[in-house]
Amino acid sequence: MSFDALADKQNADGGWPYRRGSSWTEPTAYAALAMLAAGEKARARKAIAWLRGLEGADGGWRPRPGVEDSTWVTALVALVPREEFGAAAHDRAVGWLVDVTGAESGAVVRLRSWLLGEAPNPDARFAGWPWMEGSAAWVEPTALAILALEREPERRNARLRAAEGRRFLMNRRCSSGGWNHGSTHAVGYATKEYPESTGRALAALAGEPKAALERSIGLARGFLDESRSADAINWLRLGLTAQGAPLERYRPPEEVVYRMVPEIALDLLLSAGPAGYSLLLGNPAAGGRR
Amino acid sequence: MTHAVTRRKWIAGAAGAATMAAGCARPSAPRAASVSIVRAPAYDQTLYDTVRRVLALQRLEVSGRHVVIKPNLVEYEPESAINTSPLVVHAALEGFRALGAASVRIAEGPGHRRNTLDLAEAAGYFRLVPHFEDLFVDLNLDDVSAVPLPRPFSRLKRLYLPHTVLGADLVVSLAKMKTHHWVGATLSMKNLFGTVPGGVYGWPKNVLHWAGIDESVADLHSVYGRQFAMVDGVVGMEGNGPIQGKARPVGVLVAGRDPVAVDATCCRIMRIDPLRLGYLRMAAESGAPLAEAHIRQTGENIAAVATQFELVPEFRALRLEGG
Repeated sequence: MSFDALADKQNADGGWPYRRGSSWTEPTAYAALAMLAAGEKARARKAIAWLRGLEGADGGWRPRPGVEDSTWVTALVALVPREEFGAAAHDRAVGWLVDVTGAESGAVVRLRSWLLGEAPNPDARFAGWPWMEGSAAWVEPTALAILALEREPERRNARLRAAEGRRFLMNRRCSSGGWNHGSTHAVGYATKEYPESTGRALAALAGEPKAALERSIGLARGFLDESRSADAINWLRLGLTAQGAPLERYRPPEEVVYRMVPEIALDLLLSAGPAGYSLLLGNPAAGGRR
Repeated sequence: MTHAVTRRKWIAGAAGAATMAAGCARPSAPRAASVSIVRAPAYDQTLYDTVRRVLALQRLEVSGRHVVIKPNLVEYEPESAINTSPLVVHAALEGFRALGAASVRIAEGPGHRRNTLDLAEAAGYFRLVPHFEDLFVDLNLDDVSAVPLPRPFSRLKRLYLPHTVLGADLVVSLAKMKTHHWVGATLSMKNLFGTVPGGVYGWPKNVLHWAGIDESVADLHSVYGRQFAMVDGVVGMEGNGPIQGKARPVGVLVAGRDPVAVDATCCRIMRIDPLRLGYLRMAAESGAPLAEAHIRQTGENIAAVATQFELVPEFRALRLEGG
């Protein structure tokens, strides 16, 4: 994808739409990272200014203007480098991520379950992140929160939450070795994995022992060969790179259509080499952050 | 600019209407409804005439109106019985156009997969619906407004909902006839979950699960204004639906202006007791017809097309007596 394809979609308010129309936090955060990787500081700063206006009263970030609740997009905002975003706002985003867990592993639900004499919920053993507070944790918001918190090595509580988040991801791995939205079973039946979720989880699990992820990495390689989804290809590339798999020669198939701003921005970031990868994985060596 | 102002007024009006509807909703005496059951033995070109016949039976007036068709598009399984057939969707699109609708759009917000257009492509929508991409709105990423729920069934006090649906003159829930492992059956009312924006609530829209699935279905049914329900029962899904069940051919389309009556009729065709489905009971509190005596069937009668759907053990108590 060309840089212009992304730049042309920037709205006058500084944000980006998902495809066209009004600005949302998710595409704007990815586009801001792509602009930083491309050295387009003016566009990035305009985007960052728009993002800063979306902070909620609780220190989290709202997904778009007009929505009052803070959501998972806070992790994407926390991926914007502290020195670019502003230290105080960045730290509030990180603080929000540290504090928020899926409701199933929260004290209220655990106490209720204990009082009712219910068997412990195996899915609540490890705290992940929800899409929105008051609901359960899922794979994608957890993977993105881990990516954000791994970049805060000086904050002990961030390290601890990220480590528990990785255990959450391992616990939600499908029997095939891949991941989906976060359910390994539905009414006793094993569920199918998704390519894009498998890529996201592998990106967040950088540094985990290779033996534990061998099957997952093999599955992701197969997905990458077969997939024609821009989103899936982006995340598989990132996930496999995070796992140290060489992809220098990989080029997406020509028939892949990059329609959405997050797809275009991620492709540009991945095409930017170490400068792009480091904005997502935190380490230009791209083979584990710990 | 004129269009934008009009649209905002529409949305404000829709929200207001929803507020009023919910505020004076319960309890009421059941009203009568008409539901059409029409045979549709296969996914072929005869569906176009079949859909037109259904719309004629229902005497829908949509001339000059803006219609939004909301199919059930869930997973990447082109030959499975998970998704509403794209042929049925196209037949409905053509049917509403033939009735003089000012615009007909297709809109969906899948609950698991984020790549809605990739999903639609894999499910055959691009191939079978000409200019699909121009007609389609991804409801997960549409502009939204907060709609209050003054007397909710769930614990939610408001929902952010997409402008495309709030601004429609007629919302057509074009669902699939399936069993569902959490609520028993997913038909036209449960299909409205796909109007809740993932861009706000996530994938899945788990806030609705925590608020109560049955209750959230009933809330969604209450917030939208003029609705029309059509259920693709050409081939349904039984057992562990809505994704992992088995295909179950029934060979019907079921449609009507009252989603509660349409879903109750579908249940009876599937040999499920609609009086035992939580969200149908809740919606019936506002006077929607649930009892067979209050639903006038046109086309086929239920007995002629009844097809027992296998139920997961947790839901065997839903079986219609005598089924």
